[in-house]
Amino acid sequence: MGKEDLITSNPLRVLGLDNKAEEGRQSLGLVMARAGLGKTAILVQIALDSMLRGNRVLHVAIGETIEKTRDRYEDILTKMVEDLNEETESDLSRRRMIMTFKENVFSRAMLEERLKDLIQQDVFKPDCLIIDGYDFDGNGRQAMEDLKQLMAELGISVIWFSAVSHREDPRTSADGVPAPCHTIDDLFEVVLVINPQDSVMKLDILRCAYCEVEPGTTLLLDPSTMLIQKS
Amino acid sequence: MAKDLSRVRNIGISAHIDSGKTTLTERILFYTDRIHAIHEVRGKDGVGAKMDSMELEKERGITIQSAATYASWKDVDINIIDTPGHVDFTIEVERALRVLDGAILVLCSVGGVQSQSITVSRQMARYKVPRIAFVNKCDRTGANPARVTQQLRDKLSLNAHLMQLPIGLEGEFEGIVDLITMKAIYFDGENGETMREEAIPAEMAAEAEGMREAMLEEISMFSDELMETLLEGGEIDPRLIHDAVRSGTLSLEFTPVFIGSAYKNKGIQPLLDAVSSYLPCPTDVVNHALDLADEEKEFAVSNDPDDKLIMLAFKLEDGRYGQLTYVRTYQGILKKGETVYNSRTGKKVKIGRLVRMHADEMEEIDSCGPGDIVALFGVDCASGDTFTAEGLSASMSSMHIPEPVISLAVIPVDNKAQTNMSKALNRFTKEDPTFRTYVDHETGETIISGMGELHLDVYIERMKREYKAEVQAGAPQVAYRETITMQAAFDYTHKKQTGGSGQYGRVAGYLEPLEEGEYEFVDQIVGGVIPREYIPSCDKGFKKSLAKGSLCGAAITGVRAVIDDGNSHSVDSSDVAFQLAAQGAFREAYSKAKPVIMEPIMKVAVEGPSEFQGAVMGSLNQRRGMIIGTVEEGNYTVVEAEVPLSEMFGYSTTLRSLTQGKAEFTMEFATFKQVPKSVSEELIKEYQEEKKNK
Repeated sequence: MGKEDLITSNPLRVLGLDNKAEEGRQSLGLVMARAGLGKTAILVQIALDSMLRGNRVLHVAIGETIEKTRDRYEDILTKMVEDLNEETESDLSRRRMIMTFKENVFSRAMLEERLKDLIQQDVFKPDCLIIDGYDFDGNGRQAMEDLKQLMAELGISVIWFSAVSHREDPRTSADGVPAPCHTIDDLFEVVLVINPQDSVMKLDILRCAYCEVEPGTTLLLDPSTMLIQKS
Repeated sequence: MAKDLSRVRNIGISAHIDSGKTTLTERILFYTDRIHAIHEVRGKDGVGAKMDSMELEKERGITIQSAATYASWKDVDINIIDTPGHVDFTIEVERALRVLDGAILVLCSVGGVQSQSITVSRQMARYKVPRIAFVNKCDRTGANPARVTQQLRDKLSLNAHLMQLPIGLEGEFEGIVDLITMKAIYFDGENGETMREEAIPAEMAAEAEGMREAMLEEISMFSDELMETLLEGGEIDPRLIHDAVRSGTLSLEFTPVFIGSAYKNKGIQPLLDAVSSYLPCPTDVVNHALDLADEEKEFAVSNDPDDKLIMLAFKLEDGRYGQLTYVRTYQGILKKGETVYNSRTGKKVKIGRLVRMHADEMEEIDSCGPGDIVALFGVDCASGDTFTAEGLSASMSSMHIPEPVISLAVIPVDNKAQTNMSKALNRFTKEDPTFRTYVDHETGETIISGMGELHLDVYIERMKREYKAEVQAGAPQVAYRETITMQAAFDYTHKKQTGGSGQYGRVAGYLEPLEEGEYEFVDQIVGGVIPREYIPSCDKGFKKSLAKGSLCGAAITGVRAVIDDGNSHSVDSSDVAFQLAAQGAFREAYSKAKPVIMEPIMKVAVEGPSEFQGAVMGSLNQRRGMIIGTVEEGNYTVVEAEVPLSEMFGYSTTLRSLTQGKAEFTMEFATFKQVPKSVSEELIKEYQEEKKNK
């Protein structure tokens, strides 16, 4: 499969975020699930899609190592396309940078400092940020609004987060976004929730500001590869 | 009499440079009565530590070659390989890990887990070597074993836990608290040889109790019996704890951490106890050999002295007694005077003398058996060769050997130096598979290549000192490669008629990129258009063509040469004619096969205070580096990048000035990648000019 096919056939197209980014709009995305269901796999697919479209992605991994994060990309990419040419592969790895933080070290101020360093030194100017492992329990609306402001300042068009929901916490927003993000779901343009049902893994689109489909639509996940499929 | 293998330990000692491995080994030898006086690595007595037997090592205070030695602690025989810490010498570390069953990972209590510890740890994981950690230098200012243990967990993802607590630290480091026996241990006597057990100092009792509980909870995962006892709240038998720690260590799921100061003679004896108790014996580890008689099928070696002999030569040394070959025996018994087979060459080898090495002294022995690490005398072989008994065709699985990335010309100053240099190079290439040498036919210069500047520096020094070969070294050059990117056909006739018998040969076929490996020759000739006896001549001709590519003069790799047609002449065809035809064919097809230049890319890790992170990344970026990522640890950052080797010359000076000397970096070979167009053009231009000037 060629690069163009990979882009056009990607089920993520339905979210319609790419067109908005081209228009200069900034958006926040969120992938939620209970622990261990594969949020990172979804984020990596979103990142790869963005990289294939020519964007630069900074993957911020909180509590994870560079090596493991890199392996995730290689793993998912191999599953997406068996025989990728070397040039595309090398181009993709140049479009990605991984920044890892220990859980207790990550803060918005630190991220800002590092990002500015990267941009000022002309090392890497990301278009898309993936923040995997952000602590939504310990950070509220203000922190998220601060991040939005930072995006505007640094010209980042989209930030995707992952958040852990808990089975024992029944709270949800009007759109069905589970806790701990139920009170701030209005800040996100897209919210996806991994929803395992019997032998099927679903990816529910709970919020979708620019979607080509109705909120409530479901994408399917291949349970063995966690690749997003068209439902 | 068969040896009880459960009482044998083959261990390596590896770590970041300057963590004190050599000092630690020296103390181990002292406490096990192998030596009777202690000499420091950079000691004033000028003797140097026992394990640094090479002069150069004594002078530089670093360990370059691993020396194998034998010690006996209580009733356990311990074979120790002291391994170098610098990344340029990792082939030594890798080889040691290949033949060892367990290892002590030495860490500096101030420096903690440094970049080289990460490399070594990765190597240990590759060879599945169980390890225990020793946090050394607890007497140093800034010592913090708890922080180092946490780094083992965070940076190396090891389930590490302190098994001891320090009594005092830095200048006040007095002894240790053993969390299993719950006793304080002090080390008395001039060299700490007398251990004195006392009650735990009252002010440490609560802390020790808490740490013990946490440790027990951790290790109870490896013993149901211990977990039950803990749940029941009964008295805990120390044997249960030892068994659980051993089980966790052997399964690589737990890393017990011990502490001390080798220099101050503290904590070594308990570490030796830990080696005996927790590191595996030869039968705890499954090693595999390849059955050469059955399509290289893997089989587990038996460790049985009654089986046929299999042993691996893992290191050669040219010492004052002639060539020494270090071997590890995996099964069978080898007796002095017996004949064995080298499975690579198929040659018979008679074992005249068998010795057990103790740094540069040795002890004659009559036989060796499974698990033994000993040295053979006067055996002609290469490092990595397998020796077996007659009738057994087996080889130990191949070792991971990185390709050399840097080369330089060595020019002997006179004829005597020329002769000595040849002897030295012949020896070095046998000793070290990452060290290569060849003669550049165009310039007539001898080129040596290896894994880094320091690697080659050391060999040049050794040539001068050990072989009295006075040589001048040229500037280091990156070992570029050339390869082809597409298939291209050839049809070439070599014809020469100059009176008498002429030369005639025609070869046709194609070249194509070979994904794995350096070169492959495929013969698809049918109907004898090229007579059978000239097929090897074609192969030879292609191989000769690989020595130098036409773009920048670098060696060509990754080529498959296929011949499928040709012609011969009953009188004029010859071996030489077909070799020349193949060379002509290669020339013809090579330029059509879109050749490109490849360069070695290094994996570089720079560690330093976060305030310099931006500058560090900028400096790597300027060097055509690709930043892979950063690790943020509060006020400390590690930047990982892939950078072309050609851009890394002089980086240590740049880094020092950028970071006020507060950051350090390591690099190791990662891969070969095609050079960008601009660099390629530059290299081609340089090569053309060089050719013109000759």
